[in-house]
Amino acid sequence: MKLAFLISLLLICQMPSMLMAQARTPLHVEAALDLQVVEPLLDKFRQAHPDIDLQYEDNSTLKVDEQAREAKPAPDVVISSAMPWQMARVNEGLAQRLDSEAARKWPKWAKWRDEVFGFTFEPIVTVYRLELARHMMPPSTHADLHTLLKTHQDLLKGRVTTYSPSGSGVGYTLFQQDARYSPRFWDLVAAMGAADVSLENNTRDMLKGLTEGTYWVGYNLLGSYAMHWARSHPDIIVQIPQDYSLVMMRMAFIHRDAPHPAAARTFMNFLLSEAGQKTLAGSTPLFSVLPDVIGPYTAQRLRDQVGDQLYPIPINASLLAFVDPMRRDAFMKRWNREIKILSP
Amino acid sequence: MIVVDGTLKRRLGAWLLAAVGVLGTFLLVEAYTSAQRAADRAFDSQLEAASLTIAEAIQWQDGQPVVEIPAAAFQILATDQQERVFYTLLDTGGREVTGNLDGVVTDALREAAHTEPVWRFVDYHGTPIRLYGRELKSAGWDAVEPVQIWVGHTLSGRDALARDLFVRALTRFLAMVILTGLLMWLAIRTALRPVRRLRQLIRQRDADDISPLNAQVPGELYDMAETLNALFERQREGRDALLRFTADASHQLKTPLAGLQSTSELALQSTRPDDWRQALQTVHDSSARTSRLAAQLLSLARLRHADEGSPGRIDLAAVLRDTVMEWAERDDAQHHDLGLAPLPDSPADIQGEPWSLREMIGNLIDNALRYTPAGSEITLSLHRETDAVTLTIEDNGPGVSRDLLDRLHQPFERGGRQDTEGSGLGLAIVDSIAHRHQATLTVYSTPGHGLRVCVRFPLLTEEARP
Repeated sequence: MKLAFLISLLLICQMPSMLMAQARTPLHVEAALDLQVVEPLLDKFRQAHPDIDLQYEDNSTLKVDEQAREAKPAPDVVISSAMPWQMARVNEGLAQRLDSEAARKWPKWAKWRDEVFGFTFEPIVTVYRLELARHMMPPSTHADLHTLLKTHQDLLKGRVTTYSPSGSGVGYTLFQQDARYSPRFWDLVAAMGAADVSLENNTRDMLKGLTEGTYWVGYNLLGSYAMHWARSHPDIIVQIPQDYSLVMMRMAFIHRDAPHPAAARTFMNFLLSEAGQKTLAGSTPLFSVLPDVIGPYTAQRLRDQVGDQLYPIPINASLLAFVDPMRRDAFMKRWNREIKILSP
Repeated sequence: MIVVDGTLKRRLGAWLLAAVGVLGTFLLVEAYTSAQRAADRAFDSQLEAASLTIAEAIQWQDGQPVVEIPAAAFQILATDQQERVFYTLLDTGGREVTGNLDGVVTDALREAAHTEPVWRFVDYHGTPIRLYGRELKSAGWDAVEPVQIWVGHTLSGRDALARDLFVRALTRFLAMVILTGLLMWLAIRTALRPVRRLRQLIRQRDADDISPLNAQVPGELYDMAETLNALFERQREGRDALLRFTADASHQLKTPLAGLQSTSELALQSTRPDDWRQALQTVHDSSARTSRLAAQLLSLARLRHADEGSPGRIDLAAVLRDTVMEWAERDDAQHHDLGLAPLPDSPADIQGEPWSLREMIGNLIDNALRYTPAGSEITLSLHRETDAVTLTIEDNGPGVSRDLLDRLHQPFERGGRQDTEGSGLGLAIVDSIAHRHQATLTVYSTPGHGLRVCVRFPLLTEEARP
């Protein structure tokens, strides 16, 4: 009896996919999000929607932004961690509104105009090699890192890495946000400059350098990638800063000129759905935003572990200031000045 | 016949509806525009604040304006409605120093902002936005050239606020209408209460109760109550007149009957046939008078209570001539000089009934014969004017004293004379007939020089000839 029921259920589930097998709707997702990290989520989506032929393009934030602005035909869904740029595109009117139950229920602080949604909750972390701990007390706050750079200048010279603000949108955003929170950030920049900091364009390269032993300590890495990496590299330690820790959110929107808007809406609704967020929390290190989702990687669990010092980069109009060309120029000028200030 | 023509409630309701309709349209149009204005004012001030925040951040370096756009400015621009935000900083030549408003700020707009701050609704790639621009005379060490700051945002917040304000105004207005309707209904009920009270008061009266109404009424109903009272008053007068007439008539009939009785009693006590003959003669004369009196009473009652007949066109001259001819042959007229003045050439057509006109002329002649001594001259004449014709009868008898003139037309009035055989009904009948013909009766008299009675009839015009 039970078996017969299950079989019929299976048949019913299979039927649409059999019918749609000939005419699957293509869906082009342009994303700055590592495929291997997000793969379980995409698999789950393909499983739930066999009628949609999902094409996932993983690119750098700058490339994704360019695709969103210029590609013809436009991508259906744009995902990027370069929050200010995503915001600027939405402000330009490149996004279309998502009017669905999931969108309405989405936390207010993680969406803007119901057009763009922050669907991950990735802490920004400091990563160091186990080796570092043998020579000194590992840094647990921004101030600690500054002190270490000052006191162990000779030992750490050439072994410090961080994002390049000019080469990476994420890095630039994080430094801007750091500078907003504390003026002492510039002391840290000066100290890193004095330690001949190596500027990388993505977290993966920094993690590789750390594993290879080129770097001992990395500042402002994406926690999601680092934690994923650390699971297979035991000599890498991930530290969430204890004074304050920035949280970056991947922002996703449906392109205004999406060739397949219905499929795009289906994909977005899946990202924001409980099922999608559960997969995010259980099978990827991207952390779920929803407070009632349970899994190893959730914003709630992170808050329980780290406390109140999580500072998500707010998804609001203030992000637009970071992409203002003049403000960017001013910031880069100051960066270039500060990073050389302690060099002989 | 009383026809129900709608109800007061419905009429007042219709007026209320009309008032609400007209006033409501005005009010709602006003509410809509003022809601728009209020929303614009509220959001315009946000634009102004954002513009100020940006202005604060402008600095001059190497002769160039440099601004580190404060993130707060965007927060203010976006408002909590999450508007899309637009801004630009233009240097003196109109080149964009920084911003995202490419091409929206036209030369005309820049020119306008040169003199005073500019507020505009403009179109940004198909999206309507509100734009605010002003010129800033910034001071620097090496440049004092003005720059322009333009900020703008989309309109969803304004629309939402305006809609909200308008819906609130609409709700208030509807509540007011419902309340007004309710109050109006109550007011109508209260206002109509005196009418109901009056109706009850009238309904409770006995059929023969004609005393004046004793009721408290509002000013508007005073006229109606007063009219009712006047009607009751007339009814009472009519009834009194009827009673008086009946009493008088009984009295008049009683006198000759009493005479008959005493004459016949005296005759019965006598044994002489001469006395019987004398008595029989008296009884005959008296019963003739009584029968004439009864005929006159009947005639008067008939005149007063008969329905309006259907009068036709009639030539008064012909009627007059016939009647005078008839009377001149009677025995009663043999001791008087009864004459008819020459009649007018053209016919004197009036609206009337031949029988009643003959009755009237007869009564006038009879009166003259009775109240003048033998040998008196009695002349009838007809005088035609443009729109009236006057029938006149004159005698050269003793006349009537001035203070009696007004009472002459009342029944049983004999002009202060007890020496005649008249009943005193003649002029009363004449008066009634004149009244029926819309004619006016006038009596002139100079004591010692006779009496003149004029009856003035309205002439029928030529056009009214059937």
